[in-house]
This record gives sequence, C-alpha cells and structure tokens, in this order.
Amino acid sequence: MNLANLKPGEHGKITKMGAMGPLKRRLMDMGVLVGEKVKVEKIAPLGDPIEVTIKNYNLSLRKKEAEGIEVEVVK
Amino acid sequence: MRTQKNADCGLRIADLKSEIANPKSEIKTITVAVAGNPNSGKSTLINAIAGTRLYVGNWPGVTVEKKSALFEYEGTNIKLVDLPGTYSLSPYTQEEIIARDYLVHEKPDVIVNVVDATNLERNLYLTVQLLELGIPVVIALNIYDEAEKKGYKIDTKAMEKILGVEVIPTVATKKMGLDNLLKAITNITNSVSMHRPKKLNYGSDIESSVSIVEKQIQNSYSQLSEKYPLRWLAFKLMERDSHVMEEINIENQSFIEEATRHLKKAHGEDMESIMADARYAVAAGLTREVLKKPEFKKMELTEKIDKIVLNRFLGIPIFLAAMWLVFKLTFDVSAPFGDWIDAMTAGPFRRWAEVILGFAHAPAWTASLATDGIIAGVGFVLVFVPVIFAMMFFITFLEGSGYMARAAFVMDRAMHSMGLHGKSFIPMLLGFGCNVPAVYATRVLENPRDKALTSLLIPLMSCGARLPVYVVFIGAFFTAYVGTVLWSLYVMGIALAVLMGIIFKRTLFKGESPMFIMELPPYRMPSFRSLMIHTWEKGKHFLIKAGTYILAVSILVWFLLNLPWGVEHKKDSYLGKMGQVIAPVLAPLGFGNWEAASSLVSGLIAKEIVVGTMGEIYVQKAADENKETPTLTEDLKEMGTSFAGAVKDSAANLISTFGMASLSSKESTEETKERTPLRDVIKGQFTPLTAYAFITFVLLYMPCIVVAIAMRQEFGTWKWFGIAFAYQMVLAWVVAFVIYQGGRLLGLG
Ligand SMILES: Nc1nc2c(ncn2[C@@H]2O[C@H](COP(=O)(O)OP(=O)(O)OP(=O)(O)O)[C@@H](O)[C@H]2O)c(=O)[nH]1
Ligand SMILES: [Mg+2]
Repeated sequence: MNLANLKPGEHGKITKMGAMGPLKRRLMDMGVLVGEKVKVEKIAPLGDPIEVTIKNYNLSLRKKEAEGIEVEVVK
Repeated sequence: MRTQKNADCGLRIADLKSEIANPKSEIKTITVAVAGNPNSGKSTLINAIAGTRLYVGNWPGVTVEKKSALFEYEGTNIKLVDLPGTYSLSPYTQEEIIARDYLVHEKPDVIVNVVDATNLERNLYLTVQLLELGIPVVIALNIYDEAEKKGYKIDTKAMEKILGVEVIPTVATKKMGLDNLLKAITNITNSVSMHRPKKLNYGSDIESSVSIVEKQIQNSYSQLSEKYPLRWLAFKLMERDSHVMEEINIENQSFIEEATRHLKKAHGEDMESIMADARYAVAAGLTREVLKKPEFKKMELTEKIDKIVLNRFLGIPIFLAAMWLVFKLTFDVSAPFGDWIDAMTAGPFRRWAEVILGFAHAPAWTASLATDGIIAGVGFVLVFVPVIFAMMFFITFLEGSGYMARAAFVMDRAMHSMGLHGKSFIPMLLGFGCNVPAVYATRVLENPRDKALTSLLIPLMSCGARLPVYVVFIGAFFTAYVGTVLWSLYVMGIALAVLMGIIFKRTLFKGESPMFIMELPPYRMPSFRSLMIHTWEKGKHFLIKAGTYILAVSILVWFLLNLPWGVEHKKDSYLGKMGQVIAPVLAPLGFGNWEAASSLVSGLIAKEIVVGTMGEIYVQKAADENKETPTLTEDLKEMGTSFAGAVKDSAANLISTFGMASLSSKESTEETKERTPLRDVIKGQFTPLTAYAFITFVLLYMPCIVVAIAMRQEFGTWKWFGIAFAYQMVLAWVVAFVIYQGGRLLGLG
C-alpha cells in the first residue's frame, strides 16, 4: 500500500520511504517521515497531483512521487 | 504585543545624515540575515521594518535572490538581508544554496529566523539547523494573528528557554511586534557572548559521532574550523553533503565513515535520513511542549474555498473562467482611460508642442520630430499605461490571494505532459504581465532542465507589451467581441506552448522530468495598500521603458522614416525600404505591405513599439484635418471633463462585467470606442482576417530584446535565446499562414 493508493478522505501512517536521493531528502525536509500521519485531501481535476495534509499543512505532490511512500491505512 | 507606529522604524535619512556629519558618534553597522521557510513573511517583515518594497506574494518561492535593505535604529545602522525561503539547508536547490552560502561565508551578526506560527513544527526544523551554525538567532514568530485566530496558544517563554534565543511574536502585515524585534536584535549586538544559542541534543549516539568528527577536523584540518562553524561542518561531512564536500575537498574521508558506521547500522538508513529524523524529533518535541491547539478544528475558509476551486469537475472551468475574467476586467476597466490619454496626446499636447516650437522659431523638421516622432511615438505607448496597470493589478491580486499555487496544482498534469512542472506555471503566468520578470522567476524551479524549457516557452505567454497592438486592432475590427478575441489570443499562446513543450520534451529535453512537491498556502486577502504598492512596482517598469528607450527608439524610428533627407514618401525611407524587402515574405500571411513589415521590424526591440511605428507611418495625414484650435483654458477644461467621463465609463464597464447578462454586451464597449486616427487608417489597410493574422504574428514572432538579455543573464549563454528566436519566427509565420489561408478557404477573407 502506498500513498498514491489512498482515496481522498482516507488517513494513513507512513511506514517506509522508498524514494532515493534528492527526492527523498526533499520530502523528509518537508516533514514526510516514517511514522508520520497523512491524510489525502484531494486529487487534482486532471487526476494528478494529489493534495495531502501532513504535519498540519497542505502539501501537493505527484502520484509518481507518492508511490514511493509506503503507508498503512489508519481509521 | 503592541502596535507600533510606522514612523518608528522607517528609513530615517535625516538621522543618518546628521550622524555622518558628526563623526564623533561612531555608528555601528550590523548585518542581520532574515531566514525562514518559504512564505513565512520574511520579505513582508523587511518591508514593514525598513520601508522597502521587496516583492511579496502568497506562494512559496517569491524571493529567489538575496536582497538587502539598510536602515537606522537607535544609533545603529542595520543591514537586513532578505534570503530566499528554504525548508532546510540541504544542497539540492539553488535557493537553499544561496541562503546557506550567505549564512556560512558572510557570517552575519544576527539571524532573524522568521517562523510561521501556524506551522510551528516544520518551521522549527529549519530553526534547529540554523542553530547549528552558532550565529546568534532571534525568532520572529510571524503570522501570529492567524495562529491566534485558529485558537493556538504558543508559550513563547518556554520556547525561549529551550532554544536559548529570544522569541518575538510579530504580524508583519500589520507592523506589529517590530519594535520588540529590533530591540532584541540590538540587545544581541551589545552583548554577543551572552546570546550564543543553545546546542540542541540530537540523542547520545549522534552526539558522540559528531564530537568524534569535530575533533578530527580540529586536529587534521584546523584551517577549516576557522572557516566554517565547527558543529555545522561536522554534520555536513557526516551527511556527505555534496556541496560542502566539493568546497573543502579533503582527501582522507575514512574517519567520517568510521564515525558514522554504527549509526547507519543501528538505524538501517543513510546519514541524511538519520539526521532529518533527529532534527525533526527535536522540532516535534519542542512543538509539543510549547503549542496548545484547540480541541475542535473548525472548517477553515481555505478548506471551504478549495472544496470548490479544486473540485474535480469545477477546477478547470474555474481556472479558465478566472483567467478570462482577468482579461475582460483588465480591458474594460482600463479602456476609457486609455482612450482619454490617446485623445490628450493627439490633441492638446500636440497642439501645445507646436505652439511652443512655433514661438521658438524651430525649423520645421524639429517640429516634425517632436510631434510626429516623440509625442506620437511615446503617446501611442502611454495610451497603454492603464491597460498594463490594470493587468498588473490583477496578477498582484492572484499572487497575494494564494490562487497562484492552486493554479499550479490544477495545471500540473497538463504541464507535466509537456515535460514541465506545475510550478513552471507560475513564471509562465507572470509572463502574461511581462516576460522579463517571468524569466527570472524560473528560479523557483529546482532543476536547470525545467528552467531552460520554461524560459523557452515563456515568450509564448502574451505579455502586457503586446496588448497595445491587440487593443488597436481589436478596437478597429472586433469591438463587438473584445473579450473573446483577446481571450483567444492568450489561449492560443498557451496551446502553442503546450505543443512546443511536447516537441521540445521529445527532442532537446529527453530524459527524466522533475519532481513536484509544493506547499499550498492558505488564502489571504491582500491589503489594498500592498496591492497598490506591488501593482505600481510591477507597472513602473513599463513607464520607465516608455520614458527611456521607447523614447529613444521613437526618435530612431523617426529618423529611419525620414532619412535619407528629403524623402518624399515614407516608402523610400530606410525603414520603408527594409519593410519593402521583408514584405514579400509576409505576403502569404495577408499583410505583405511595407507599412506592416516596417512596424514589425521596429517591434523586434519591444513589441509595443509596433504601435508607435504604425502611428508614425500611418497617422500624420489623418491628424492634420482638424484645424480649429481651441484655447488653453478650453483644452484644460476638456481634459478634466473627459477624464471624469472616463472614470464613469470604467465604472460602468466594471458593473456590466459582473452583471453577467451583459458579458459580451455591445453597447457599453462601442460607446467608449471613439474613433482614433490610427484605428481609422488601419481599418482601411486590413481586413478582419488579416488583422487577426497580424496580431497572431505579433503574439508569436519573437521575445523582445530585454527578454534576450534576461535569458542571457540567467543561463550565461545566448544559446537558449537563439533557440527561442529561431523557433518563434518559424512558428509565427506558420500559424499566421494557417489562419490567413485557412480563413480565405472558409471564405472569411
Ligand atoms: N496574516 C498574516 N499574513 C502575513 C504575515 N506576514 C506575511 N503575511 C503574508 O504571507 C505571504 C507571504 O509573504 P512574503 O513576505 O512574500 O513571504 P516570504 O517569506 O518572503 O516568502 P518567500 O520569498 O517565498 O520565501 C504574503 O501573502 C503576506 O501578505 C502576518 O504576519 N500575518
Ligand atoms: Mg520573500
């Protein structure tokens, strides 16, 4: 299960950061860390990117980038 | 927190002067770096303190270069340095590198860390890294008003204790807390030693590794420990920061490996991730300690708006409608004022100049230079000042409100398909105002590939300077469809940008496309004052251009049109001859006359000059007809009443735009379109079809000289400009050809 699989309104908890290199560092710098809770807010009208809430702010990222972020669904 | 008066902290030039005159009182100059997350209000804060007009906007990545502001406070000169916003001090983006190079190498006396109070944890992650530098820090806890509104309670005293730095709540937009902030800054410089920030503890395993690395540096590379903050350098080496590694270039790196091996093993991660985790752990712990949030979270305005604006079905229509509305309003609100300026320069100003020159017994050719060259040339361009200011006003509003970032979000998919980034959308949108700042704004993009590709496409965004040309032609041929025709040109530019983007992606820019990670800021209502200031700052460039080199070019064009001496007919002048040479190339496009060709040649310098040149070529004969000369008082009275009329028309247009029933209403627009000489002449020379082909050509045919210079500056080579020039010429010709020939086939000619 990765972040791109979550539907709008669903919550998840990050279990693993798969992406490597600058992308991973960038995500981590913005608070996307293992153990963090995320909520998918919206999918853009054209289907990509997605908007999530993490650490209490809104972040948008592409599905391709979200695919590298493993999550487990939280109720 | 108390409100403080503007005057307290404005630029006090008088004070400065007296200090200089009196050398006994030694003035200290201290350098204060202003650092923080993107969109935390750094530039707004500096503007509030120093009275500067730095560029601000409600989206991350506005400031891309460091800028400084100098002012004086209680006998101390303070130099505030605005740094680009960063989330971290990693070596991956140009902005981060600019910010950290400044902090590490220029060693400012104090860092003011602007922290967004509504977003504590993520902001404190940067704070933690700033503290590693060992430079005294003051925290400006900004956007405090929004935090309070959300019901957040922040214990600043506890924060101060844990971090060992002063924490001052501020509201930069309302100039609140500035005095306290300045006091905190000067306190530090009066007693530096007492204000060394605390060393934050990242956990015993990391701390023991870092102290090993620190020792090694001191023993084997002592010169480095003088150049860099020791703790910071040790961390950077442990993280294998590519930028630092390159800078210091040490041969034997095995000690780093040794010091970090057990860490990597224990965490099963690379060092960068371990450090990011450790720093966030500190930031999170701190946040837990000092921040109390209300139990229930209200649905906020931003959420409500986004529900509609980013809606799956409504998102795109809303985006397109918003753009359309901007153009419609721009045109409607400004048109009456443009017409007014037009009437003034063609009437009273011209007459006065003639009278004055007549008194001075100036030779006939100087009178012609002054009236036909300068007044007509600059006048034709000045007519568009209202349009351009209106456009800048709306762009400023979009930027200030927070919609810009949403536009990037909505458009990313489309952008991505041409190998771009949703964020490329921002420079491209700015390109509608002026391509020049847009080229500079490509710095928001993280990778050089995006920058280059975006810059190549920016000239297809129809800038404000092209509006004058459209306005004249639309005024002559399409008065019933003003908004629609104008809109079609902008949309065409966008569509062609998509097409070219796809072509470039497959040819010049093969390879991976970049990441899209962007914060969506909350919506904010820009204050009227700041709207005015930033509209002015943007529009000003156009005025300066009109005053300086459009003036120079008008004179040049006049000479080209009147040389060799004594030419009977404009056609035989130098410019006319150039036009005649080029005209056959343009013939298949429907405007193969020398007049159009000559105007296009002069437009290579700046597109608005096309109109000025047309004015010089076409109009003189027509203008000489009204011979009845009013008196000066009559002139002045007429200026006043017609200006009042313009205000009324503008307001009426504004109302009719919002009274949706009359969106394409003919009455209101037709009334205000008085006959102007140039429009009349153009009506005789073009047909609606050739007119449309012509304005399309103007839209596409090349970036102006100033853009060329900007591209050269950004990339350090003429290569990208060369490519832009070449493909645009071809594109312009092909598209105009298709429109004209296609139109004829359909029987529109
Ligand atoms: N409500 C509120 N808004 C603020 C405050 N300070 C700044 N803003 C708004 O926050 C937005 C960002 O301000 P900027 O000054 O451009 O931010 P910056 O930190 O310079 O941003 P970058 O240059 O992108 O790093 C603008 O819309 C400001 O009007 C504040 O104290 N309260
Ligand atoms: Mg800024």
